[in-house]
Amino acid sequence: MSVMDTARTKGHLLWAGAAIFFMVAAIPVWAHAGNAKEGRKIVITKKLGNCIACHYLPNVESPGNIGPNLVKAMQAYSMADRADVTQWVRDARKFNPHTIMPPFGANKILTPQQIDDAVAYLYTLKKQ
Amino acid sequence: MYRLVTFLKMFVLTAAVGLVFGTFGSGTPAQAATKSSATIEQLTPSMSYAEYKKRYEKYYGDATAQMAEEGNPADFLLDDGKDLANKVVGSKGKSCASCHGKDAVKLKGAATTFPRYDAALKGIMTFPLQINTCRERQMGAKPLKYESYDQLALTMYIKSLSNGMPIRVSIDGLAQPFYKKGEATYYRRQGQLNFSCAICHVQYAGYKARANLISNNKHHADHWPGYRLKWNKTGSLQRRFRGCLKNMRAKRKPYESAEYRDLELYLTYINNGDLIQVPGMRM
Ligand code: HEC
Ligand code: HEC
Repeated sequence: MSVMDTARTKGHLLWAGAAIFFMVAAIPVWAHAGNAKEGRKIVITKKLGNCIACHYLPNVESPGNIGPNLVKAMQAYSMADRADVTQWVRDARKFNPHTIMPPFGANKILTPQQIDDAVAYLYTLKKQ
Repeated sequence: MYRLVTFLKMFVLTAAVGLVFGTFGSGTPAQAATKSSATIEQLTPSMSYAEYKKRYEKYYGDATAQMAEEGNPADFLLDDGKDLANKVVGSKGKSCASCHGKDAVKLKGAATTFPRYDAALKGIMTFPLQINTCRERQMGAKPLKYESYDQLALTMYIKSLSNGMPIRVSIDGLAQPFYKKGEATYYRRQGQLNFSCAICHVQYAGYKARANLISNNKHHADHWPGYRLKWNKTGSLQRRFRGCLKNMRAKRKPYESAEYRDLELYLTYINNGDLIQVPGMRM
């Protein structure tokens, strides 16, 4: 085995290791299968989530100010809080019985997939 | 040139309003999936009327004052309403003027006590319903279709006789249970979005739903029928109810249904003291 071969094997191993690492790291994201690009569409479209009626979100014209700024709000959530963020969208009454936020899941305004997509989009707002 | 500028202003306003007022509207009306509770939800008012007014002026500037300066299209209905008040119709050969004086002038002040409890109806009498009751009982004439031109013109004209007078609606005695029902409707969560009238006009008055500043409910009932840019037409307070209910994706009732009459009593009562100013003009 030449020096060259050893180096190449090491290189392959490194690549394989990196690939496995990223696949494992991505599992929690896969498990929810939210599509952030779809999510963006959902949060800004009137007939879908229309979240911008109440929340500040970037790059939209005249967002409302009834609810908190979601860019700021998302900084407080880590990936581990994903269930909570999803619950806010599904039915915020769990956290605040007097909320004005529509129960998007409970009242079937959005499908579970659409809610996952919206949440995936919200996570793209987290500053690195 | 002036007309063109006016037109452009109206156009820009209408476009802005279109963006704004469509805030929650949707093509999918749906039923409430949420149970309503019998008790009135305790909500904290977002701000005083004075504070709301400050926000309004900061946000819209003099856009609405300018709008008013250029004339209210609803004013055209006033003359027709006066003509209708003098016009003989029905099998008994009478007009409103037969009982209420030429141009129905004796009805000055009448609008200040409407809606009110009516013993024959065993319910709440509103202005449009009173007009139709007079037509049927006193004049032998057909009722006017709600929201029709003639119905709006008559209601508006006769209410305008009380312009500048304070609202002083009574909720005493037999009116009380209807007032309570109206209040319950105002606070009841309904529709797919689970909103109530009060959550917007009490708890979030002064906040923006998209670009749309939500109004404090003072002065809600003192200026209808009125002209609304979004409708490009004159309409009643109950038409406004139906507009908000549609945005809430809630079921809607017909005009002058008991529910809307009770709601109108509640809303007008909480506006007691506000001066009648018909026809109004809104975006
Ligand atoms: C009619 C108003 C309204 C709409 C529409 C709305 N929200 Fe909210 N939302 C609120 C309010 C108000 C709060 C603050 C908590 C409370 O008082 O209920 C909130 C809270 C949240 C939170 C928690 C924020 C925090 O500080 O932890 C998230 C996440 C959220 N909303 C996401 C969404 C998404 C996504 C949509 C659209 C699919 C949406 N909201 C639509 C009013 C709204
Ligand atoms: C999601 C928020 C929301 C809900 C819920 C809502 N409204 Fe509104 N309403 C608005 C907005 C926004 C406007 C237009 C701007 C304004 O407030 O005057 C409006 C306007 C009005 C007006 C006209 C005000 C004027 O100055 O002429 C009346 C009256 C009214 N609403 C009554 C109601 C009633 C009654 C209900 C319940 C059946 C209701 N609203 C539910 C947001 C709402």
